[in-house]
Amino acid sequence: MKSFAYVSARDVPTAVSAIAGSPNAKFLGGGTNLVDLMRGNIEQPDTIVDITRLPLTGVDLLPDGGVRIGALVRNSHLAAHPLIRSRYPVLSQAILLGASAQLRNMATVGGNLLQRTRCLYFYDTAAACNKRAPGSGCDAIGGFNRNHAILGVSDNCLATHPSDMCVALAMLDATVEVESTRGVRRIPMNEFHVLPGDTPHVETSLAADELVTAVELPSVAVAANSRYRKVRDRASYAFALVSVAAALEVTGTTVTQVRLALGGVSAKPWRATKAEEVLLGAPATEESFRQAAAAELAAATARPGNEFKIGLAERTIVAVLRELVTKGDAA
Amino acid sequence: MTTTVATQGGIGTNAQRPDGALKARGEFAYSSDLWHEDMVWGVTLRSPHPYARITSIDITEALRVPGVQAVLTHEDVPGTNIYGLEHPDQPVLAEDVVRYQGEPVALVAADHPETARRAMKRIEVAYEVLPPVVNTEDAAHGRAEPLHPNGNVVRHVKVRHGPQDVRADVVVTGEYEVGMQDQAFLGPESGLAVPADDGSVDLYIATQWLHADQRQIAVALGLPPEKVRLTLSGVGGAFGGREDLSMQVHACMLALRTGKPVKMVYNREESFYGHVHRHPARMYYEHGATRNGKIVYVKARIYLDGGAYASSTGAVVANAATLGVGPYDVPSVTVDCWGVYTNNPPCGAMRGFGAVQAAFAYESQMDRLADAVGLDPVEVRIRNAMSEGAVMPTGQVVDSPAPVVELLTLVRDKPLPAKGNDLTDMPGGVSNTTHGEGVVRGVGYGVSIKNVGFSDSFDDYSTVRVRLSVIGGQAVASVHTAAVEVGQGLVTVLQQITRTELGVDVVTIEPMDTSIGDAGSTSASRQTYVTGGALRAACAAVRAALFERIGHTDLPLDHDKIVEVLGTDVIDEVVEWRHRPTYRLDPETGQGNAHVQYAFAAHRAVVDVDVELGLVKVVELVCAQDVGKAINPEAVLGQIQGGTAQGLGLAVMEEIQLADGKIRNPSFTDYLIPTVLDMPPMVIDVLERPDPHAPYGLRGVGEPPTISSTPAIVAAIRAATGMALTRVPVRPEHITETS
Repeated sequence: MKSFAYVSARDVPTAVSAIAGSPNAKFLGGGTNLVDLMRGNIEQPDTIVDITRLPLTGVDLLPDGGVRIGALVRNSHLAAHPLIRSRYPVLSQAILLGASAQLRNMATVGGNLLQRTRCLYFYDTAAACNKRAPGSGCDAIGGFNRNHAILGVSDNCLATHPSDMCVALAMLDATVEVESTRGVRRIPMNEFHVLPGDTPHVETSLAADELVTAVELPSVAVAANSRYRKVRDRASYAFALVSVAAALEVTGTTVTQVRLALGGVSAKPWRATKAEEVLLGAPATEESFRQAAAAELAAATARPGNEFKIGLAERTIVAVLRELVTKGDAA
Repeated sequence: MTTTVATQGGIGTNAQRPDGALKARGEFAYSSDLWHEDMVWGVTLRSPHPYARITSIDITEALRVPGVQAVLTHEDVPGTNIYGLEHPDQPVLAEDVVRYQGEPVALVAADHPETARRAMKRIEVAYEVLPPVVNTEDAAHGRAEPLHPNGNVVRHVKVRHGPQDVRADVVVTGEYEVGMQDQAFLGPESGLAVPADDGSVDLYIATQWLHADQRQIAVALGLPPEKVRLTLSGVGGAFGGREDLSMQVHACMLALRTGKPVKMVYNREESFYGHVHRHPARMYYEHGATRNGKIVYVKARIYLDGGAYASSTGAVVANAATLGVGPYDVPSVTVDCWGVYTNNPPCGAMRGFGAVQAAFAYESQMDRLADAVGLDPVEVRIRNAMSEGAVMPTGQVVDSPAPVVELLTLVRDKPLPAKGNDLTDMPGGVSNTTHGEGVVRGVGYGVSIKNVGFSDSFDDYSTVRVRLSVIGGQAVASVHTAAVEVGQGLVTVLQQITRTELGVDVVTIEPMDTSIGDAGSTSASRQTYVTGGALRAACAAVRAALFERIGHTDLPLDHDKIVEVLGTDVIDEVVEWRHRPTYRLDPETGQGNAHVQYAFAAHRAVVDVDVELGLVKVVELVCAQDVGKAINPEAVLGQIQGGTAQGLGLAVMEEIQLADGKIRNPSFTDYLIPTVLDMPPMVIDVLERPDPHAPYGLRGVGEPPTISSTPAIVAAIRAATGMALTRVPVRPEHITETS
């Protein structure tokens, strides 16, 4: 681990000015990802700005029926919160399927948004990785890439975003509130994470001096009939091969509202807008679900190691929608 | 007559483990907890390349780091820079070539581990990178660059039994693959070396075989063995992965150079590079049978990837070859098994030792045969099952119970579990992947055979000292041996045997070290048999000495009598004990009485498979195993459950992922082992059919359950899906046929 300076911030203005003066500084929240990466010399910040004392821990109902979540709310707290459990069950499910109870007790909402990839080559400092060392190449492309991305990939990077929570946030059209010495800015969730393109080391639209202060969820009535499914290699403590967050409203036999997002398949939580387009107004049938899934995955590009993810993603989408129809009927 | 009065906690009881409560409370001292005043920390610089020539090593900058006490390379190895468990071929520190990623190149000692790591990064090693040899079959057949002076074949074992080139009405063939499994012990490699004034050294270490370590360390240090003293430290699991040296020589070198105690602890990632793994295998099988399903012949070619250095590859090859047709009567056997050098990580001992790989292939073949002749999978196994008196492919006659039919019948006849309604019973478990739709149930069987103890003419023995004295009016026996406790419960078993043999309640197990003779390795399911046998003999010697004092032998021996007779005297007996000799396999035919004992287990697996998503939930595992005599019945159940879980891991998730010789998943985040949510409840039958040649009639327990659980689970997945599934671990993409 490289030596670093440590600053503890007591309020948001102190935190953002501390980071504004240090180009290679990082905020420290739960530390569940950053500290591991520092131990492995993958992250090497000069300064750590400890933000754990900031008053960003509220979960509050907004006048328009949405919910505002402070950036330092712990994952376990958010998953158990009555507002989330009743209005956004998909978010609660997604969080509880991530990591372990111990990690969820430490990890924060802001930190979850900013998690780095679990690409095996990103973690191996002897391997070429454009994300860790821009311009060094990508050993995942010709290497072991079973866990890697199939949507929005580039010739420079195949990494996936590891978060479960973010898949649900993308499906719910959340907004991320960020603050710097220049003021406050609101970023739609689907613009928060960016695709690798030629700059895979740039993972979000967050500027280096900006602090995530809150996540806001709009009021989403259809979220009451929502579900998060995670397909992985063992029953717990594993990253998603593919995950699906979905919400569905069927009126009569027609899909009148639908939201769909995928995890484990891209450098960002993947909002499945093509599938949504096919489904909206279509009959709520197995055939529509298959067509929608195929439409979304039509643009997928796979390597021999991760080709299975295309079919797996399609079948998972169909299975979740099928379940939501049944569940909606019952309700 | 020399009877003893049974006390509490003798053999056959569930005597409490002396280390159990400490471990459950987190108070047990493992080797990573070792501490010494003035100690410094050692770290290892490893090769990032699977195959490269070293053109130079420059340690100048590393030595300049404040706090650094020593930086050592191959030039500093005081003795012979070569070691190996069976066959010395591995340098303590690489000289002009590295043959696997992670091979040790240099050592640093510093007053803080972080200082040592920083200094290590300043060592400049110039490599000329070479293309790695990674194809096992190319290596076996001379189609790859030789990595060692005598070529790439470590051992080729041929077994030729019965008439060759026979024909059969029904023929089934198959090609099978087993991925590289890790022992995944929870306590990473660690040790503490303490130098003495006379140039000798004491090493406190978590290992499986103190004397084999001592012999290899002494040669590398250029010291007589008595100047290298080893004491066992707390071992956090082993499973074969601690049979080879890791940091033993390194820590001693640093201690002797700095004159200070040196502690070394690997982290999880380094641990993946610091020990051998289970050999990956590629296997080609052909079974010929009658239309009634009776096997006429088996032909097999088995390739085992030994990686960069030999380790115990030779013995693993012999096991895979001699046990390669399974617990069946086969009149004609033609097996060729190769273990080869490649630039993959070195492979060696892991629970099941060659029998695991072969069992996946031969049990898969038995299911294919069942299909081909239209028989139930259990029925085809029963028709071919061996029994006592059977002749092995080596010509060896099985001269103790071999209840294969009974084991199969027991697991078959257990009631089948009901379909679960709870989400956690579904494939994907709590991940909400299914609520029962698209889920298909399957049932599969596996049965295994494993040799117990060291084979192939190895002089397999153990040494035990028993001391009987009276302390504070109470008779106390103390037991001293170099046989190591790795978590399996040996210390409990030694106490139980002593209580039964001497009739005393208080039995002290002394620290395990090299101040007494060799006890052999804690491996091959052998310690209860061999060290247990030695202990029984030592107790008999103590008892004889006691009766000599009394002058007659026809009275029961109880505590009060011992106290009365012994007074202030001490009886102290040391015994070296051997099992029946084994004999070398004929190099051309593989014939010979190579094994001392065989052990058998059978499994039934019930799985639910989500065929849409390719997810498997193992719903139930039933196991029946013959243990001859259960010295500690609860410990036996623990071994069966643990071994079964390790087999489950190999069946559905555990694999070291390799790309061009490099390990891609050296962490417990990426190398998945089963959790409690993956491991189902077990139903276990323990048979006790005594082996007349073994102490108490017992049979080794640890390995057989690991061997048969893997093929049983895969057979169940096949039954559910109708897929061929010829490779383990089975992954979702194999079941959905998308890979």
